[in-house]
Amino acid sequence: MTVATFIQLIVEGLGTGAVYAALALAIVLVNQATGIVNFAQGGMAVLSAYIALVLVNLFAPATGTAAALVLAIILAAAISFVLGALVERLIIRRFEGGDPDTAVVATIGLLTLITGICGIVWSYNYLPFPWFFSTGDAFRVGGVTISWWALTSILVIVIVMVLLQLLFRGTKLGLALRAVADNPQSAALSGLRVGGLLMIGWGFAAVLGSIAGAIVAPKLQLAPNMLEEALVYALAAVIIGGLDSPIGAVVAAFGVSVLENLAAVYLATIPGTSIPFIGHDLKIVVPFVLLFLVLVIRPQGLFGRKSVVRV
Amino acid sequence: MSWYRSAWFRWIVAVVVIVVLAVLPLVADPFANQIIAKIATFAVAVLGLNVVMGYAGQVSLGQIFFVGLGAYAAAAVILSDWGKALGFGGIVIAFVLAVAVPGVAGLLVGLAAARLRGLAIAMVTIALPLVGVPLAKRFSDLTGGAQGESVRFSKAPAWSGLYDDQWQYYVCVVIAAVVFALVFFLVRGKYGRAFAIVKSNEHVAGAMGVSPYRTKVLAMTVAAMVGGVAGFLFLVVNQYTSPDTMGFGHSIELVISTIVGGAGSIVGSIIGGVYYVLLPLLANQISQATGYNTQNVIEGVVILLALFLLPGGLASLPRVIRRLARRRRGHRVAGGTAAAPTNPNTK
Repeated sequence: MTVATFIQLIVEGLGTGAVYAALALAIVLVNQATGIVNFAQGGMAVLSAYIALVLVNLFAPATGTAAALVLAIILAAAISFVLGALVERLIIRRFEGGDPDTAVVATIGLLTLITGICGIVWSYNYLPFPWFFSTGDAFRVGGVTISWWALTSILVIVIVMVLLQLLFRGTKLGLALRAVADNPQSAALSGLRVGGLLMIGWGFAAVLGSIAGAIVAPKLQLAPNMLEEALVYALAAVIIGGLDSPIGAVVAAFGVSVLENLAAVYLATIPGTSIPFIGHDLKIVVPFVLLFLVLVIRPQGLFGRKSVVRV
Repeated sequence: MSWYRSAWFRWIVAVVVIVVLAVLPLVADPFANQIIAKIATFAVAVLGLNVVMGYAGQVSLGQIFFVGLGAYAAAAVILSDWGKALGFGGIVIAFVLAVAVPGVAGLLVGLAAARLRGLAIAMVTIALPLVGVPLAKRFSDLTGGAQGESVRFSKAPAWSGLYDDQWQYYVCVVIAAVVFALVFFLVRGKYGRAFAIVKSNEHVAGAMGVSPYRTKVLAMTVAAMVGGVAGFLFLVVNQYTSPDTMGFGHSIELVISTIVGGAGSIVGSIIGGVYYVLLPLLANQISQATGYNTQNVIEGVVILLALFLLPGGLASLPRVIRRLARRRRGHRVAGGTAAAPTNPNTK
C-alpha cells in the first residue's frame, strides 16, 4: 500500500461520490421545497439516461458520437426538467402538505412504476452507454493513476453545483424558489406562484438526477435498477449531512464514497490478521455504519440545524 | 345499528371462517394449500409492517430484511448439529431465535433511526435489504451463501396422518392466527393508543407523556419480531431460503401490499398478504401472454391508484361504499337528516 494507491483510491472515491452528491443534492432540493423525500429520484435519473441513449443512437450517425452525446445529454436534461415538473403537478401535488409518510409511499410507487416502464421498453438487461472515451482510460501523474472518468465526473458535478449556487443566490427566480422553500404561505401572500415554482424546483432536481444518470451510465452500464444502490448512498449522505443542508449533503456524499473506497481496500481484512472484514462486497456497510454513528451522536446531521418546534 | 355490525353476526362470521379454514386443506389440492400457507406467511409479514407503518405511522422499507433474518436464524438452528440432535426442541429454539434475532436487529435500527424526526426511519430502513443481501452472501457458513440453503424440517409427522402440504398449511395458519390475535390486542390496548397519538402528532404525544422516541422504537421492534415469525413460516412453506428472500424489490412489494390492503387495519393485513402472493402470479400470467415483464408497472399503477382513490386500502372499501350510499340517500331526502361529512382519514 503506497501513497500513490491511497491518492488513487481517494480520486476514484470522489468520482463516484460526485454521482451520489448530485442525487443527494436533488433530494435535498426537493425536500426543502416540498418537505418530501423523493425515493424516485434515482428512478427518474435512470429514465433520463435511457432517453439520452435513444437520442445518442438517433444523432450519432449524423454528428459522430461525441457531439451526439453532448446534444443527447442536454436534450435529456431538458426533457427531465419537464418530466420532473409534470410529476410534481400530476402526482406529488396531491400529497403535499399532507402526511409526509403517505408522500413517501407515493414516491416509492413512482419508483416502481418508472422502473417497470424502463424494464418494458428497454428490457432488464444491461445496455452499454457510449462515452467520450473508455471509462477505463487513465493518465499518470507522479506515479498516481487517475481515471479520466473520475476526473470528468468530479468536474461536471462541481460546475453544475456552481451554476446552481449562482441560480439560487444570484437570480430573481432563485430568490423566489428559496422563498417558496422557506415559507410557502408567505411566498404566496407576496404574490409568488407557489405551484409553478414548486414545479420548477422539481424540474431542477430532475435535471440534477439526469446529469448523475448520464455520468454513471457509461461506468455501470444502463439497467432499470442501475441507481438503486446510489439512491441508498445519496439518502445516507443526506442524513449524515443534514436534511436541510445542501452543502452538508454534498460533502457527506463525497466523504462517504471516499471512506468506503478506502475501507474496501485497507479494511479488506482485520488489520494485523488475515480474517476477511469489509472488502469490496461489503463496502455498502460503510455508509450504513457512518449513518448510525451520526444518528446517535448528532441526529440532525453534521451540517443540519436542530429544529425547534412550538406546539 | 345495522344487523351486520351486531356481535352475534360477527361471531357467526368468525366461526364460519374458522370452520372453512380448518376443513379446506382436507379437500383442496396441494397447490391451493401451498398458496394459502404462503398467504398466511406474508399476511404476518404485512401485519408486522402495519404495526410500524399503519399504526405508528412510520414508513419502514426494510421489513423484508427482518423476514429474511428470521428465516436465516431458524435455518441456522435447524441445520446445526445440536439443533438436529434436539429434534422438536430444536425447532422450538429455531422459532424463538427467528423472533428474537430480528427483534434485536429491529431494536437497534429503531434506536438509531427514531432519533431523527420525520422520514429518517424510511431513509434508514431502505438500506437494510441492500446491506442484508451482501451480508448473507458473505457469511456463507451460516447462510449457504448466494445459492441459499434448503431446510427440510416441516414434513408432516406420522401421528397426524396428514400430507406435507396439509401439515404446513395448518402450522402456518395456526401460528399466523395466534400472531394476529396478539397484535390485535396490542394495538387495541395501551400501546396501540400510544402508536395512534404518535402517528397523529408527535408533539402532542410528548405533551401527554407518551415518548415518541420510545414508542417508535417499540413499534420497530414489534414489527421486526412479527417479521421474524413470517420468516419462520416462510421456511415452513418453502423449506428453503436464500439472499433473494430479502431482496430490495420484495421489500417494496411488502409496503405496497400494506397500503393496498389497508394501513392500520387487521383485515387489511390479510388482504395485503393475499395481494402479495397473488399479484406476482397474475403479473406472471400477463407477462407470459404479452412477452413483457409487467410486474413493476402493475405494482406501480396499483399503489398510485390506491393512494389517489382509496387511501385506506381495500379494507376501507365497505366503509367508503356505505358513506357514498349514505350521501346519495341524503340527497334524496333533501334537507333531511344527512349525516355530517365524516372523513376517517383526516388528520
